Amino acid sequence: MAETSEEVAVLVQRVVKDITNAFRRNPHIKELILSGTLHPVKDLHLGKLALTKFPKSPETWIHRRWVLQQLIQETSLPAFVTKGNPAALPAERTQRLIREEMEVCGEAAGRYPSNYNAWSHRIWVLQHVAKLDVRILLDELSSTKHWASMHVSDHSGFHYRQFLLKSLISQTVIDGSVLEQNPLRSEPALVLPKDEAAASTEEARINLPRLLEEEVEFSTDLIDSYPGHETLWCHRRHVFYLQHHLSGPHVSQAMEVDGLNDCSKQGYSQETKRLKRTPAPDSRGLEMEHRFIDQVLSTCRNVEQARFANAYRKWLVTLSQ
Amino acid sequence: MKLYSLSVLYKGEPKAVLLKAAYDVSSFSFFQRSSVQEFMTFTSQLIVERSAKGSRASVKEQEYLCHVYVRNDSLAGVVIADSEYPSRVAFTLLEKVLDEFSKHVDRIEWPVGSPASINYTALDGHLSRYQNPREADPMTKVQAELDETKIILARKQNSCCTVM
Repeated sequence: MAETSEEVAVLVQRVVKDITNAFRRNPHIKELILSGTLHPVKDLHLGKLALTKFPKSPETWIHRRWVLQQLIQETSLPAFVTKGNPAALPAERTQRLIREEMEVCGEAAGRYPSNYNAWSHRIWVLQHVAKLDVRILLDELSSTKHWASMHVSDHSGFHYRQFLLKSLISQTVIDGSVLEQNPLRSEPALVLPKDEAAASTEEARINLPRLLEEEVEFSTDLIDSYPGHETLWCHRRHVFYLQHHLSGPHVSQAMEVDGLNDCSKQGYSQETKRLKRTPAPDSRGLEMEHRFIDQVLSTCRNVEQARFANAYRKWLVTLSQ
Repeated sequence: MKLYSLSVLYKGEPKAVLLKAAYDVSSFSFFQRSSVQEFMTFTSQLIVERSAKGSRASVKEQEYLCHVYVRNDSLAGVVIADSEYPSRVAFTLLEKVLDEFSKHVDRIEWPVGSPASINYTALDGHLSRYQNPREADPMTKVQAELDETKIILARKQNSCCTVM
């Protein structure tokens, strides 16, 4: 069913004259889908074509989510991950749907810089269709890496990576007890590497610190190669924050339980304020960041780069206050 | 990050002469492509006319960044890229292309040449290869910029390119 770009352009021009209303005010489309006359998949395909010309169109994305919700609710689409069997691999159909959505979002993201609507949709799909399945999150993290490196000022693209990392953290470290029960730690069948040998000998573990470390290396690589892009420095802040927050949750939760969250307590003491913050980032991590900043400042000739490096330093200082 | 066009020109007096050009307008919708290409040809010529011999500059025009290098012998090159594409790599590309061009095409042809008459076919390959700056130029990480390069980010005073 592949169309040439000329065919697509002509089709879209003729059919989608009014993109604002093409998917919105037409009551018939929803009726047609609900009554089974129009198959949702066909509608998704038309939406995909429309997005090639209008990659931002909010109405198209909103309608798309409505269609996906119909598909999810349909009994013909097997539930993705049921509470009782979290280890179940997602049904083939659901996986295909997810892959297709990832592709549509990717294309739309390429057609318009920092395409917030496309990236938000992508996140929505991971949350509501993929249910934040860890394997898919990891796959997305690796498969969007190259794209991000070729779009170094696309803030939405990097925000997506931050979302993936945050979700990976939340899916594996909810609280101490859940970590023990995490099926990924006890089900060798779920091991991600394709290597059979590894699968049989190792438990599947997601090495969160390693993932975050890799993201920092990625950030360093990009900042060095492409000076003067604020997006890269913002991304670094987020990753650094996640890294050092990772060691925090248990600790900070304990602190909150420790009577300091008591609503009856009046007044707002310095002490209360300090303890409610996340624990200070470890000094070794901070030291490495300061060295990185020094290295950038000593070699860069780009005025913007120097400005961002200095701003990053100031931000790091505020973290430990 | 994207490269849209790569052109070799001769800075004649008073007009710049287009000798050879390569374009990548695949990211534009089908209906836009020919007008975008025209815009880039026009802009490249204009920029060379307004640049001094022996200079390098980066000029911002709408959402594009035009990198121009005019050699002392009046041979000139223009790369039109987006704002993400590293300027250092763009200038490396220009240097390389002009060097190669001057070896392949006799100097006598420059002032009177045209894309039809000039026999130099490597531009499309260079444009395609340099789409990924890190593959094309492994030295991208090296911070040092050419000393004699003055990168000027100038917004065009007279909006000459209101064609678009």
